[in-house]
Amino acid sequence: MSNSLGAARQRQQSSPWLWPLIWGALLLISVVAMASAEPLFRWIEPDARQVIYGRADFYVLLGRHLLVVGIAALVTIIIGVLAGIAVTRERGGDFLPLVGQLASLGQTFPPVAVLALAVPVLGFGTLPIIVALMLYGLLPIVRNTLTGLQEVDPDIKTAAHAMGMTAVQTLRQVELPLAAPIILAGIRTSVTINIATAALGATVGASNLGDPIISGIVNGNMAYVIQGALTIALLALTVDSLFEVLQRQLRSRLSTS
Amino acid sequence: MIELSHVSKRFGEETAVDDISLRVAKGKFCALVGTSGCGKSTTLRMINRLIEHSEGDILLDGQAIEVYDPVKLRRRIGYVIQHTGLFPHWSVARNIGLVPRLLKWSAADVQTRVEELMDLLGLPVGEFAHKYPHQLSGGQAQRVGVARALAADPDILLMDEPFGALDPITREKLQDELAKLQARLHKTVVFVTHDMDEALKLADHLVVMREGRIVQQGTPLALLQHPSDPFVESMLGGLERGLKQAALTRVKDHMTSMGPTLPAQSRIPSDFSLRQALSMMLRDHSDRLTVVDQHDVPIGELSLRRIIKEAQLDKGSARE
Repeated sequence: MSNSLGAARQRQQSSPWLWPLIWGALLLISVVAMASAEPLFRWIEPDARQVIYGRADFYVLLGRHLLVVGIAALVTIIIGVLAGIAVTRERGGDFLPLVGQLASLGQTFPPVAVLALAVPVLGFGTLPIIVALMLYGLLPIVRNTLTGLQEVDPDIKTAAHAMGMTAVQTLRQVELPLAAPIILAGIRTSVTINIATAALGATVGASNLGDPIISGIVNGNMAYVIQGALTIALLALTVDSLFEVLQRQLRSRLSTS
Repeated sequence: MIELSHVSKRFGEETAVDDISLRVAKGKFCALVGTSGCGKSTTLRMINRLIEHSEGDILLDGQAIEVYDPVKLRRRIGYVIQHTGLFPHWSVARNIGLVPRLLKWSAADVQTRVEELMDLLGLPVGEFAHKYPHQLSGGQAQRVGVARALAADPDILLMDEPFGALDPITREKLQDELAKLQARLHKTVVFVTHDMDEALKLADHLVVMREGRIVQQGTPLALLQHPSDPFVESMLGGLERGLKQAALTRVKDHMTSMGPTLPAQSRIPSDFSLRQALSMMLRDHSDRLTVVDQHDVPIGELSLRRIIKEAQLDKGSARE
């Protein structure tokens, strides 16, 4: 009995890393070995002069892509979670509807429009796309932080208060840990969406995995488009499956010994 | 000692608690009873400043509660609520050790204290220390809740309908255990409930509230004998009042020495209540019982006539 239970647990523990490993390996292979897949892409675009996007190495594009998404995510998480915390406090309660609306507004604004508006102010390059990603990715994080904190059982908060925990202690030791799975789900949505959205940066001169796509569209070269799209898709899948593992670990830490 | 004098609480236009005065001596068990919305929970929450009172004075050991820092005050007062409010992401042991850790006890002291309390509340350490709240039954969870409230050995314990969500059998068991615990620990307890039987069973001092006011207060026996108005009387069970009063009186206080006649067949332990004695008489079709000590040795007898006579005497003496 205990043996079979142990085995089941081991299976459960070893399996979560399977998908991140698979997607990560495929991503790595596609980035490193893109050049050697020339025959395949030649078959797609037999008449093109060049079938492998060659203006920059794919691992360089991947690095820039990650950097843009990473910076945007970091800033969004900090702003989003802090805003969510602030308006769920007694003193910030007045701003709760406002913050909710602002975050929604950010997402209804198409990133392309944000880029178009940001370029005249911020110039071409990486900055406008980071701003666009921040606006676009803020909503899921703010919304989930609000939901997560508001869903903490009032009895639990009363108990924390009545036992003599300070507001900061209650937030750090009780509210945030209990809201963490929901907040993390918001971060996951935000980051995954933004990995795809970041490709738009290529239109304003931010070189990343969107470059082959834009270049392919402009030159009518489907092979380029596929190369960019494939790498972005694999990156999104890798990151998303990593979040899945993180969420599962968080949930199991919250619910069982 | 807890003392409330002319305390009121207003929420805007609404008066939740209206000019109540109340005194709970050190080591006494005070029950606040009333229908829902009568202000009993609000009264409780004003004592540890979860709610600030609008008027009057609340004194702890003669000191106005406004003098204390609210956070430090709450760490000195145990608090138990109906749905336990245990932290679901913490183990039982960690939940119990909360207040000692807030008070910066050493890890070793916290652990010793947690094990002591789990022992006291009948939660085997090996079995329960590492369990999480969702793995506990309602009764077990509330034991943990009580252990958490007692962790830093507070003088005062506030309990807000702690057994209200439990099934009748578990509730009765926890009531008995709480009574035993109180006989040992002598905390100053304020206990909110809408269950009059629970209050009668546990309280030294009974406070009946209605619409934010205290209707009557006194010992359970005094209230049963002389309810001040029809509301208190109906709270006390109307016609059942006689039985409730009998439930508060021990057999040993009313037995007589063995008569010359043959001892009665039915035997009753001397620490049972008169209510149980009456029930036994009805069951056994007998108007006489033999009273025995804990070793089942006869030490006296109790007759129906005696019970009725004593009830009259009690009434007379309580009037004086």
